Formats: sequence, structure tokens, C-alpha cells
Amino acid sequence: MRAYVFRRLGQAALTLLGVSVLVFVVLRVLPGDPAKMLLPEGAPQSAVDELNRHLGLREPLHVQYAIFIRSVVRGDFGQSFQYRAPALRVVTERLAATVQLAVAAMFLTGAVGVSLGIVAAVRRGTRYDFASTLFAVLGQSLPNFWLGIMLILLFGVALRWLPTSGFESWRHLILPAVTLAAFPTALVARLTRSSMLEILGRDYVRTGRAKGLAERAVVLRHALRNAAVPVLTVLGLQIGTLLGGAVITESVFAWPGMGKLVVDAIFFRDFPVVQTVLIFSATIFVLINLLVDLLYTVIDPRIRYS
Amino acid sequence: MRERYPASRPVGRRQFLALSVAGLAAAGLPRPARAQAKRSGELVAGLSERMLTLDPANHYSISSTSVHRHMFDPLVDVTNDSKFVPALAESWRAVNNTTWRFALRKGVTFHDGTPFNADSVVFTLRRVKDNTKLIKSFVYQDIESVEKDGDYAVLVTSRRPFGSLPAHLTMLGMLPASAGKNEEAFFQKPIGTGPFRFASWTHGDHIVLSANPSYWKPGVPRVEKVTFRFIPELSTRAAGLRAGEIHVVDRVTPDLVETLKNSRGVKVFDVPAVEAQRWIFQLAKEPVKDQRLRQAISLAIDRNVIIKDLLLGYGRPVDSPVPPGLIGHTSLPPKPYDPEKARQILRQAGYTNVTLDFVLMKDLYPKQLEITQAVAAMLGEVGIKINIKNLEIATAREHRSAGTYDMFFSGWAHMPHDPDWYFGQWFTRAGSEKLTRYNNPRVEQLIAEGRVPDPKVRQAKYEELERILWEEEPEIWPYYSVAIYGVSDRLRNFEPRRDYYVLLSDVAIV
Repeated sequence: MRAYVFRRLGQAALTLLGVSVLVFVVLRVLPGDPAKMLLPEGAPQSAVDELNRHLGLREPLHVQYAIFIRSVVRGDFGQSFQYRAPALRVVTERLAATVQLAVAAMFLTGAVGVSLGIVAAVRRGTRYDFASTLFAVLGQSLPNFWLGIMLILLFGVALRWLPTSGFESWRHLILPAVTLAAFPTALVARLTRSSMLEILGRDYVRTGRAKGLAERAVVLRHALRNAAVPVLTVLGLQIGTLLGGAVITESVFAWPGMGKLVVDAIFFRDFPVVQTVLIFSATIFVLINLLVDLLYTVIDPRIRYS
Repeated sequence: MRERYPASRPVGRRQFLALSVAGLAAAGLPRPARAQAKRSGELVAGLSERMLTLDPANHYSISSTSVHRHMFDPLVDVTNDSKFVPALAESWRAVNNTTWRFALRKGVTFHDGTPFNADSVVFTLRRVKDNTKLIKSFVYQDIESVEKDGDYAVLVTSRRPFGSLPAHLTMLGMLPASAGKNEEAFFQKPIGTGPFRFASWTHGDHIVLSANPSYWKPGVPRVEKVTFRFIPELSTRAAGLRAGEIHVVDRVTPDLVETLKNSRGVKVFDVPAVEAQRWIFQLAKEPVKDQRLRQAISLAIDRNVIIKDLLLGYGRPVDSPVPPGLIGHTSLPPKPYDPEKARQILRQAGYTNVTLDFVLMKDLYPKQLEITQAVAAMLGEVGIKINIKNLEIATAREHRSAGTYDMFFSGWAHMPHDPDWYFGQWFTRAGSEKLTRYNNPRVEQLIAEGRVPDPKVRQAKYEELERILWEEEPEIWPYYSVAIYGVSDRLRNFEPRRDYYVLLSDVAIV
């Protein structure tokens, strides 16, 4: 088991190195000049050249990469072109907002999605099943942008129950978390339902019922636990995605998360910030995948890694 | 990044004369009675762009300028009708064509109590000139020296005439000389002489400023606290205003005006901006280098339809490359809509089957795609086919640098309320080298001669220059933009700025 973990960590390091090269090269072959994006339209070419020199962009590509990797090893991801501050600081400042939103959305997804899925499976064919399916279809088909605006107009503008946007208190978190959770909740609900249906038809479930177990115990202890493996996989992937930032939801709610940060950074050719965010989210993604794989062994003791 | 820069207001010739020659004798003007109106309440503004830095010399962002203007005072201020008025300089005058003298206001202190004096100005100006990493540095490269002339005056000399210096200084907040000791630490929690003090900044979300009780201007500020929230998405900004969370939002688009007007407690202000839209031609490229073709294109575009139907009236017909109010503005005959004449010119010049690339910087200007589609249809009527290329901004700009476009949708907000920057960039050989490849020695000469401080000379040079441009049509100026603001009806004394700034020092809330 320990050997397995170390091997996976080694693979992760290689993956991250690959990501760094890819991001580095792709950014620099994109058309667009960082200094031009920073300077106003009316800046002369001499100012553009001078600024690019300050930004270290006039060195050959391999030299730039060597400098970059050397700094990264020391924990220095370079200075953000736009913010004129260490890229790592710029990114970590947004991390709190991103994590809050991702955790809140994942909590909703897990709680609501799994519950809906169970209800729909257990009450298969009833109106509960129908309502849950309808919710799932809506959640997966309503564009986030539209849903976000509608929630703002209803709960912010018309009813004035919740703030329309911003990053301050837990009340500011509700609407963006609901918006962001809509899609994965629907996904998880559908997945839980189908997974549960399959399990509920198994022999051991029938045996459980036959030996007089309470329905609750049958469903939660025996069926759900077995149905949880695919659900956990999806949740893990979703967490990775959410931690990378949720661009549309962040835009609609002016939420200062990493998604909008990185999109703006790409737009403005702020290379250090893009590199930092991508390496950062790749790391999280790789680690969460590893974590999920290890969690399987907890849920399903038959799974073993060696 | 927007291609708009803080617009500058043109100064009328007489105003400029009155102001600059009379040396903004405001020093001697009686101060308004110290009507110490009681300060109360809190203002919240929703701005369209996120503030990136607290260093006033390191950006040309309009939203950031709005925020910084509350913390830092410039030497020279500019009013909404483009008059240059004293701020930290009580008066200024051109000693000769290459020397300006600024007499400074006495008794002003920074937020930490240290006095504002010539050392602060010398430090601020030398810093922006010498530190070429700063975004504003290139504007000040003509400066040769900045010297104290006593404790409360400064002499600025330049290598060539720098008539637009006072205008540029409206955008440069003055810093204490002590900032130079550790700039990074200073800009974490900066101090200025402005009406508000820095309180806190949640990056990417909002900044809070608190009233400076010892501000040098009596009765200002009128509230205890100002919060600027950064909300790039217009519908979200507008929702905040309608929900009563925000008191003023900028950059409202024409199609949202009715919704806001019909919302309880919300008013809409609009004002002609100091921004001209401009569709530039690639002047080194066949066939648009031919003035006859450009003229035909101009004749085939119905500007009134664009203003009336697409901008819903929120645009103004253009009568000069430079918007009214700026120095140099002169009213020229309107460009007619005459498709028949356009066809005739094209026929005579032998143009058939012309196809042109019209490049747009994606989502930069309100309604730009619809407007371009309408123009493509209008030009189609006279037999010119338009390929619309709606490209990501950095990519579009690369096309412009490479000259691989025929027409390019652009705009110019006259940021420091002076057209010298615009002319120098777009109509000199060096400036336009990577842009339009414009080249006309006479125009170049007029621009150079128009750099002197004397407003009469400048006006005359710019008038002649604008007539040449109006004739040559190196670009099409389809309309002047209109700045639209949504404002809570609880605000008093709010002024919708023509340069898109949101200035709240003199605004009260009830």
C-alpha cells in the first residue's frame, strides 16, 4: 500500500512537470504581447519593448523556462504582470473564496444529490421519482449564467432576502453555491439513482430484507455503501474541477475566485498567474484523484492496491 | 484591457487660457465658507473593472483611477467641462516652451500628518520618469529635470515642448517622498493627501476608504466611508443597484437604461463622453490606402441609423476627430450619407468585388458586433463585402501590429483631457508604425508645433490638422460615445463624468 502511494506520488510529480512545460510553451506561442496588453493603446513601441524586457520576456524560451523552474523550486512563481505582485500571493488570495465556494457547492451536491437519488430509486416510478428526475434534467440543462441571474433577480432584487453579489458573509455564499451546485447535484442524483437501482435488485439486498432488516438499514447500510463507488468517483472529479475555479458562477456573482482570475490572466497574457493557477489546480486534481482511489478501499474492502 | 483610457476633457481655448495663463489664480480666490456640513453615511459604488494596484503611477485603468482619486490628490484637477483647475498646485504657468512652474498649496498634509511640499512632487515625478517599469512612465520620458524652487514650487523642464503636461498630471496622484524607502510596503497601505484614507482592500472584490477629517478642501468629503466594489458583469452591477446595495454603477449600456429607469429608487444619468469611436484603416494596404475607397466607405455608412437604432440614441454625431470641449476641437461639416455617390466613386475608381476584413476586439465596446453587422450590410449595398473577424483582444491587436486587417473597430477616450496623446500616437510615423502606418509630414509637423504650452497656438495647429484628417479620412469616426450611470435617488450632488470616472468626494447620501 505504501509502495503504491509512493509510486502514485512519483507519477504525480512527472505529470506536474509535463503540465508546467505544456502551459509554459502554449502561453508563449499564443498570439498576443503581454506588454501591449498592460500598456494603454497609446504607448509607443519603445515602451512595449522596455516593459517586455522588465518582464523577462526577451530571453530565449529555454532560458525563461530554466529561470521559471529554478524559481518554482524555491517557491517563487514569479511576479504577476498585471498585479505587479508575487503570482503565488495573487493566487492564494483568491484561494479562500474558491475553497469556500467549492466546499459549499460540494456539500450541497453530496447532501441533495445523494438524497434525491436514493429517494428516486427507493420510490421508483412514483411522483417522487418523477420530481427528482425533473430536477435532474433541469439542473443539467439550465445554463449557470441564466440560473445565477434569475436567482439574483428573485432573491436579491425582488425579495431582497439575500445579497446580489460580493464576497463577505455566509449570506453572500448561498446564491453562488446553489448556482454552482445545480449541475453536479443533478448529475449525482441521476447517478445515485441508477446505481442504487442496480444494487437494490441484488440478491444480498433481498436476503437482507428476508432476514427482517429494517428498510432503512437495507437502503443506507447495505445498498448505499455499495452504490457509492461510482458516486464518489464523480464527486472527486467535481471537487477537482470546482477547486480550479468556476468561471461563470464567479463572473455572475462577482465572486473573487480563481476561475475568473485565470480567465482574465489568459486574456491579459499574465503568464505567471496562469502558470501558477494551472500548476496549482493540476496538483489538487492529481492529489484528489489519489485520495479518491484510496477512499475506495475504505468503502469497498475488496479493493486493494499493492 | 479596455482600449479606453480615462477620457480627458477638452479644455476650451478660452478656459485653458483663463486657467493656465492666469495661473489658476485660485490660490488667491476666497475659499468657500467653511460650511462644515456634517459628514454622515456610507457610499457604495459598483465599478466595471477590478482594481489591480494601489500605485497611481502603475496603471491606466479608469476604474483604478476613480478609486485612487479619492486617496491621492493630483497637482492639477480637471472638471467635467474639461477645465483644468488647481488641486495640490495652486497655480502653474509655462515659463517658456519647455519649462513649467507649479506653485504648490501650503498647509496640506498626508494622511500620516507629514506635510505635502516640493519634495513630494519632485519624488513623484522623478519616480514615474525614471522607473521605466511603471506603466505611466512612457508618458513622462520627455521630462529632463524636476527641481525644487523653494519648498512650495517646482520647475519641470522637458527636452521638447510638453504642453499637455498639466493635463497628464490630472492622472498622477502625489506621493510622500518617504514612499521611496520601501515601495512594496508603502503600497500595501498607501497614504496620500486625498479626501479619503485607505482602510482595507479585499483583492478582486472591494476596497474600503474612510473619510480624511483633515482634508484641505472645506466640507469635503461628505460621507464617513466609501466602498468601491468591483463587479465586471453589468447585469450583476445593475442588480446590486436595484436591490439598494449599491448607490452608483458605471458603464451602463443603452439596452439596460429602460430597466433601470423603471426600477424604484434608481435614476439614470447620461452625458456625452470624451470618447470618439473610430474605425481605423490599414493605410499601407491595398485597397484601403486609396483615399477614394475610404471616402466611398464613409459615404455608404448611415451613422444616424447606428446612433438611433442600435445605440438607442446613446451616441452623438461626430463633427471633429476630437470630441467637443477638448482643446483643438473645431466643428467641421458632418459626414453625409450618400450611397449613390459612394457607388459612383467606386465605379470611377474601378473598384468591383472589393472584400475587406473588419477586425473587432471581442466584447470590448457596447453593441460593437451588431454595429459592425449593420455596417457590413450598408457597405454591401454599394458592393463592398465585409468579413467580420471578431477576435480575442490580444489576437486582434497582433493583427493590428502586423497590419493584417483592412478596418479595425476601435475607440479613444481622451484620457488626460488633451488630444496630444491621440495625435502623437496615431498620426505620426513613429507612433503609427505598428498601428495604421499613417504618414503625412505636414500633419506630423502640426502635431510637433501643437505641443507648445500656448493654448492659442495649440488650437490653431489642431484646427488645421483636423481639417486635413477630416478630408483624408484615415479613419472613420462614427459617433462619440455617451457615458451612462445608474444612480440611487438617495445621492445628492452626483455628477456623471464625461471621462467615466466615478468621483464621490463631494457626494452626500440621505
